[in-house]
Amino acid sequence: MASAAEPPKITLTTSDNIDMKVDRDVAERSILIKNLLEDLGGESGEAIPIPNVNEAVMKKVLEWCDHHRKDPPASQDDDSDSRKKSTDIDDWDQKFMQVDQEMLFEIILAANYLDIKALLDVGCKTVANMIKGKSPDEIRKTFNIQNDFTPEEEDQIRRENEWAEDR
Amino acid sequence: MPPVPPKDDVKATWAYLEAGVEKIMNDLRAGMDMKTYMGLYTAIHNFCTAQKAVAGTVAFSSHNNRGGAHLLGEDLYQHLIQYLKSHLQGVQERSKLHVDEALLTFYIKEWDRYTTAGQYNNHLFRYLNRHWVKREMDEGKKNIYDIYTLHLVRWKEDMFIGTQESVMRSVLKLVEKQRNGETIEQSQIKSVVDSFVSLGLDESDSSKSTLDVYKEYFEKPFLAATAEYYDNESKQFLADNSVVEYMKKAEARLDEEKDRVPLYLLNEIMAPLMRTCEEALITKHSQALREEFQVLLDHDKQDDLGRMYKLLARIPEGLDPLRTRFEAHVRKAGLAAVEKVSQEGDSIEPKIYVEALLEVHTQYQDLVNRAFNGESEFVRSLDNACREFVNRNKICKSGSNKSPELLAKYTDTLLKKSSAKMTEEDDMEKLLTQIMTVFKYIEDKDVFQKFYSRMLAKRLVQTTSASDDAETSMISKLKEACGFEYTNKLQRMFQDMQISKDLNNSYKEWLDSNLDSEDRKAAIDATYHILGTGFWPLNPPTTPFTPPQLIVTTYERFARFYNHKHQGRKLSWLWQLCKGEMKANYLKVVGSKASPLFQVSTYQMAILLLFNDSDTVTYDEMAAGTSLEKETLDPSIGVFIKAKVLIASPENAKPESGTSYKLNTALKTKKMKMNLNIGIKSEQKQEAEDTHKTIEEDRKLLMQSAIVRIMKSRKKMKHQQLVSETISQIKSRFVPRIPDIKKCIDILLEKEYLERLEGDELGYLA
Repeated sequence: MASAAEPPKITLTTSDNIDMKVDRDVAERSILIKNLLEDLGGESGEAIPIPNVNEAVMKKVLEWCDHHRKDPPASQDDDSDSRKKSTDIDDWDQKFMQVDQEMLFEIILAANYLDIKALLDVGCKTVANMIKGKSPDEIRKTFNIQNDFTPEEEDQIRRENEWAEDR
Repeated sequence: MPPVPPKDDVKATWAYLEAGVEKIMNDLRAGMDMKTYMGLYTAIHNFCTAQKAVAGTVAFSSHNNRGGAHLLGEDLYQHLIQYLKSHLQGVQERSKLHVDEALLTFYIKEWDRYTTAGQYNNHLFRYLNRHWVKREMDEGKKNIYDIYTLHLVRWKEDMFIGTQESVMRSVLKLVEKQRNGETIEQSQIKSVVDSFVSLGLDESDSSKSTLDVYKEYFEKPFLAATAEYYDNESKQFLADNSVVEYMKKAEARLDEEKDRVPLYLLNEIMAPLMRTCEEALITKHSQALREEFQVLLDHDKQDDLGRMYKLLARIPEGLDPLRTRFEAHVRKAGLAAVEKVSQEGDSIEPKIYVEALLEVHTQYQDLVNRAFNGESEFVRSLDNACREFVNRNKICKSGSNKSPELLAKYTDTLLKKSSAKMTEEDDMEKLLTQIMTVFKYIEDKDVFQKFYSRMLAKRLVQTTSASDDAETSMISKLKEACGFEYTNKLQRMFQDMQISKDLNNSYKEWLDSNLDSEDRKAAIDATYHILGTGFWPLNPPTTPFTPPQLIVTTYERFARFYNHKHQGRKLSWLWQLCKGEMKANYLKVVGSKASPLFQVSTYQMAILLLFNDSDTVTYDEMAAGTSLEKETLDPSIGVFIKAKVLIASPENAKPESGTSYKLNTALKTKKMKMNLNIGIKSEQKQEAEDTHKTIEEDRKLLMQSAIVRIMKSRKKMKHQQLVSETISQIKSRFVPRIPDIKKCIDILLEKEYLERLEGDELGYLA
């Protein structure tokens, strides 16, 4: 029996069928889980299946949620320009995001799926920072993208976007 | 629950979702497990993130030129709409099986179930909301809503429009039942109201709601039904009951409706609901109410009048006709009261007259305060009525200026020392305040001033004033009402009295140090009032008079003292106001060894002193010794004869040449003091007439000085303008008649203060 002082816990079942116990308020950083617990009551102790996230990624996501458990909930109009424009990321989050590319994308997908806006933002900003100041070839190299344009196509795009070139 | 369908298969995905939505819509109470919930959410997520669709859109030749990633979800959105439509069609079909309260129960139950399901679906479709819906809305697409709002929109279109009429019919039936005194399930109506309010969606911003739907479909029919209900009820009730009963009913109904609002209606309805009820209950019957007003006034029904006031005060311009009637009624009551007291003839007692005026005023002021809430417009009507009957009534007809004269006389009797027990100070204050009440309505304030100052002068000179405090209080009240100028002279009179007191004291000291003991013994003990000529409304003696030598030496001594103090001032003696006491050494008071004192006027003193030299004095000797004229001499002697101080010979002879008088040495009196200084009736009447005459003179002067003042500042003015300006300046004292003003202008033209200019203009000549 958990003592009264301890926060209530819930169980999440990841896609690879691993049960993870986690504090309810940490899990509720995910709006999906929060709504689900609200709608279904969440008192049954039944495990919540998370079919789209595996254990390794979920661990990372929950680590982030735990660190940010006390953050104020995002307000309704958080679409303000400042949030969109700034690529600033706080130190802890920067360190947190120092993972291999595959994990980075997995985290972003999971944040999108679980509806954790702040984490999604941090992930996208990290990617944006990776792109910033790079030439198309460098970007292709960074993300391991094959150039599937014909030279003619590429030429046309370059002409169309000449105005945006940083000269 | 089947496994999550392939993410790129619309058909399979929707089939999977539909099963879930169906369960949520119809069977939520049975509960839902986490797996199903997550399955539904995941299916939507997977569908919207499916790669295939993205790959299917060729980046450059796409028909939609949005310049960004194409978001999936429209298929699901459209499917959901189709589903909701058919679901609601079923609900609407079933609603037709119910009427009245059963219909309300059904509507509310379905509404609750539907909105709860809507919340659920909103969560499950959150991924769609966050991406596809958001993008559509950001791009300004109309008729795309978040999933919950979509539910409301569908309800409004597919359920509400078809059922609202019968729902409202049931609601209104229920309300009518309650108005008829039955108990109803109020919460049902409240739920309907809430539901209608929720459907008020702002087309331009789905996060906001408006009251449009509620206003159109609830408030409007509700108010119409209310108006109809009370139209019928009030007509019926008035046909069977008295107006007084009806007012009680209407009052109760209005309270009832007001109390209804917080129970189950929206606060916004308060104002229009009250307006509707007032229209049906009051405005439509205001004519009947007003006709009852006179009856209630006649019977002084304060409670009912108060009720009528409260009712009619609620509707615009409801009270104006009442005010007019009230004013006429008070005027009539005032005139009737005066008529009643005037039956006693011309010589009406001032007290009775003033009290009659006051009684009417008090009665209706009380009514205004209690029944009409002291409302200022009614106070004004009361004032208008009082002004009318105070200044223009039967008694005033016999002689204008009668009201101020009688009021001043009444004030005099209050302020004069009287043998009756002294009124308590509080009472005095109250009486003076009452006088001011009447005074406020008097138009000819100058007449009051004139009489008042004359009577004050008399009270002061004859030291018959009852209390300095009361006098001061009265003057300060007048000052407050009419300003400094009005009471200036009255205050100067008081000052003179004070100065005279000090003067008498220093005169006594002067006598002590300047008179030898011989003279002091022979001197008459005398006090003097020195009254400034300009401030006192006193006339010089009407008769020549030779004072007795004794008095001459006395006043000459004082005159020496006074001239020494104030050089160049002229003292003239107002003998008619002087009085003294004489000791009748030849008499003894019955049962005592002391001699009686005669209180006499100076004229009488002069007559009696003649008997110091001779036991018998003839009428001619008296006339010669005193130089008094017959008009003054004869009544003075008359008092002595009547009091048996003098005996005429031959007996009962008229005061005329040939009659002689002797002291009645056998006079028996029990009084230590005999007052022989009795005012003479004809004198008083004469005085009143004089006063009126001086009023006319003073008014002319007042008008002329006003005209000159105006012209001096304006230099040039049209005739008409000058007249109206003059009226407005003088109005506070009396209401001048236009012909009088014209006369005054003519006088000033003659005296060349003014000149005629071209075009009806007058000019000022310095």
